Amino acid sequence: MDKITVLFNPDNLAVQVEPGTSLLHAANLAGIELVSSCGGDGTCGRCLVKVQDGHVRVKGTGNISSRAKQAGLVLACQTFAEGNVVVDIPGRSRLEEHQVLLDEQQLLVEKDVEGAEGFKLQPLCSKLTLTLTPPTLDENVADWERLQTAVRNEICCSDIRISLSVLKQLPEALRAGDWQVTIGVTQINGCAEVIAVESGHAKTSKLYGVAIDIGTTTVAAHLVDLVSGFTVSKKGTYNKQARFGDDVISRIIHASERPEGLAELHHTIINTINGLLAELLQPGNLAAQDVLMVTVAANTTMTHLFLGIPPKYIRLEPYIPLAAATPAVKAQEVGLNINPEAYVVCFPSVASYVGGDIVSGTLVTNVAKDERITLFIDIGTNGEMVLGNQDWLVSAACSAGPAFEGGGITYGMRAMKGAIDNVEINPDNFEVEVSTIGRCRAKGLCGSGLIDCLATFRNVGIIDRAGKMQTDIQTPRLRQAEEGWEFVLVYGEDSDSGKDIVITENDVKNLLRAKAAVYAGIHSMLNAVELDIGMIERVLIAGGFGNYLNIRDAITIGLLPDLPAEKYMFIGNSSLKGARLALISQEAWHEAQELGDKITYLELSAGNDFMEEFMSALFLPHTDMSLFPSVTNAK
Amino acid sequence: MAFSAMKEKYRNKVNTVVLGATQEEGGTRGYTVTVGGESALPFLHFEGEIPNRPVVALEIWDIAPTDWNESFTPYYGDVFDNPTQWAKKCVEEYGADVLVVRLKGADPDIADASPEDCVKVVQDVLAAVPCPLIVLGCGKAEKDNQVLPAVAEATAGENLLIGSAEQENYKSIAAACMVHKHSLIANSPIDINICKQLNILITEMNLSADRIVIDPTTAALGYGLEYGYSIMERARVGALQGDKMLSMPILGNVGHEVWRAKEANISTEDMPVWGEQPNRGIIWEATTATALLQAGMNIVVMRHPKAAALVKQNIAELMVPTNFEA
Repeated sequence: MDKITVLFNPDNLAVQVEPGTSLLHAANLAGIELVSSCGGDGTCGRCLVKVQDGHVRVKGTGNISSRAKQAGLVLACQTFAEGNVVVDIPGRSRLEEHQVLLDEQQLLVEKDVEGAEGFKLQPLCSKLTLTLTPPTLDENVADWERLQTAVRNEICCSDIRISLSVLKQLPEALRAGDWQVTIGVTQINGCAEVIAVESGHAKTSKLYGVAIDIGTTTVAAHLVDLVSGFTVSKKGTYNKQARFGDDVISRIIHASERPEGLAELHHTIINTINGLLAELLQPGNLAAQDVLMVTVAANTTMTHLFLGIPPKYIRLEPYIPLAAATPAVKAQEVGLNINPEAYVVCFPSVASYVGGDIVSGTLVTNVAKDERITLFIDIGTNGEMVLGNQDWLVSAACSAGPAFEGGGITYGMRAMKGAIDNVEINPDNFEVEVSTIGRCRAKGLCGSGLIDCLATFRNVGIIDRAGKMQTDIQTPRLRQAEEGWEFVLVYGEDSDSGKDIVITENDVKNLLRAKAAVYAGIHSMLNAVELDIGMIERVLIAGGFGNYLNIRDAITIGLLPDLPAEKYMFIGNSSLKGARLALISQEAWHEAQELGDKITYLELSAGNDFMEEFMSALFLPHTDMSLFPSVTNAK
Repeated sequence: MAFSAMKEKYRNKVNTVVLGATQEEGGTRGYTVTVGGESALPFLHFEGEIPNRPVVALEIWDIAPTDWNESFTPYYGDVFDNPTQWAKKCVEEYGADVLVVRLKGADPDIADASPEDCVKVVQDVLAAVPCPLIVLGCGKAEKDNQVLPAVAEATAGENLLIGSAEQENYKSIAAACMVHKHSLIANSPIDINICKQLNILITEMNLSADRIVIDPTTAALGYGLEYGYSIMERARVGALQGDKMLSMPILGNVGHEVWRAKEANISTEDMPVWGEQPNRGIIWEATTATALLQAGMNIVVMRHPKAAALVKQNIAELMVPTNFEA
């Protein structure tokens, strides 16, 4: 019997297997590890996949929920391929959360959430195979105009351009293929440009695009096959600009106050991205020349530094960026190691502290197309948020400080292997159980671990509502150190470094301030549009940190508004997802441009409202307890 | 056409707190004093009920004060080192309705009086006068945590008003008040949020809200009085608008603040253009107090008997209801 092909999406990995092979086994052959707690017995119900196409035999459905059944999910271990099949693997079925490995064995955590549906595949750059009528003595139109005519028959655009260097290649390319030619055409904002020509109708011709999310701390990218729309590979790394400071302010200062500062920062981010590009292309031995389009979603400062334009005035009152919407540039202008003619576009910003990453996230989450009032929030060093629906959108940013990313906390760390992400404390004897990312020895606590810890401390009475440690509780874990009171979460014998991992009273106060800033931002924004919290119909949480966050804990400490859990949804790195969506949809890119104009920015530093909100949020959960009925009633 | 006053209708009123307990109530006081209960802004009788007038409490110390201005000597000089005599004088000669006993001697940097010494002073004062007592610690948290619970225990049932609990140190004092049936002063540092948070923390320990008086901290005229005023006013408006965690009667430590001010103390010789010192100090204290009465203060803690008399007179005048309908 002939072998059959099983194609796994979104990885776009295909394997040849004997008919009758289980999808679980096929996935393993493809190098994709699924969650399979029961080892393929069909009982744990966790290896859920969706058969998109092809013939399969389903042996059993185990105990999968009716909701999963309705969504068309089946158990990979109980489903057998009978012919060629296409299988989609949801993020939650993968062993560990989907993790993009970073430099130095660190992890950037990301969960797959489908991008906005309803956009048709129409990439910003596409390949056209054209057959031109050869010129004659009677029909003697020039090569370029001849090509333009042919292109106009294919795409709906009258403004078709070409650069001098591509024009130079044109005459020989047309004639070598006997007037059959394959071209790369970029279509942005109503203009088209021929950026690559190749003689003949090359069947093997490849066309790739890259979607990049430039964060202040991390940079992540997807290499996308622009013909199929599938992601070919994904990589993430640290933003090498970190050596010039951890936050945007110190980067801006470096760029503004050193003569070479801006150039240094610009080259550093370009180097970072070029390193990623090489990694993205390396597995399939793909050619950098075939990358013809790049979309970049980044905060306002990162966009400035990426393009090498001065960010100086972002930092100075009244906090104005050089440009909200930046021009499309050629890869060679910024120095990316891909096809020099490829266009690079950056998402427009709303304001100095609400950047293209937020516009991108707003795009991919369809906030502006939904009638429900949505709060979209990206929690990082800055808490950036967008509130609204199809009729109106407002945005704001507040400085939460680095606590949720582990900064300013004695044993704080980023979400990577060894980070405590869950803390449980026995209320009777205060014994602690922790779990860590990667199930290894604890090194410290990441943002979600810190939130969990704070909520647990409060629930078992280690701290009071003001964040003060209750020194009358009976446990040796609570002890007085030089810096004040501290609670031992993990004793040295069980920690990675051999040192006790503690949370100090000061750490608690820092966390309290961070959570107060985020909540105050949300509340000030609601005040500005005169809405009650209850009017929010859904809350979308973005950011690497969002994936591990326990909503109940976040409400217990008053970081997020007291809304039913079902209103909350994690969307992972929505900035990158939006960049990827725009790459493969001209319509989406067009919408992103409109969003940049449509979102109204609220400056929280104007007026006293934010500061007042901040002060009253410095309590667990909040000084106005009526805002947190579920927390108050639970006691 | 007849004039009709615009009336604000409030949802809530200020809690009432009773100071002291008579024999039937488990104490030994000759009478009790009730504060709070108003359902309108201060002295706006036409808008709501103001059932209890603000109370002026005179402050005495367990030790002879060294830093009180000389202008006190004619009044208290002979009794400064005898708290019981000082107490009697305040009540019998200067008409104090309530007394404040500040246990300054407990301060480790002053006399480091033991909890037992402090208990004795309070018991002696209780025996000497029939009025309800407010007992304040020395202000050093660690020592107050030993002294105040001891006082609370030894005077169980007297329904003293004991202070002060602060956000960083409230548990032992609140627990002592709860167990031994006293009331508590919750002190916050001119911060409406902390004021409210402390009330939440204390009521969550199950001390009932009608046993709490708030001291939102104030300052003397010229030293930030307007900040203290605005916080007091916010608390009062918050209470009337329905915020249960701001509904406690308010105490103001007026004398303590005013008599630290240069303007109250500097001698006539040193600053002749400012007028005579004794009167200047008295007026400084009375002015600060009467301003804060307008913000909603219910218990005025004062030092100078003459200033106290002026404030009592002011209160009496303000407690005559205005009747616009007449």
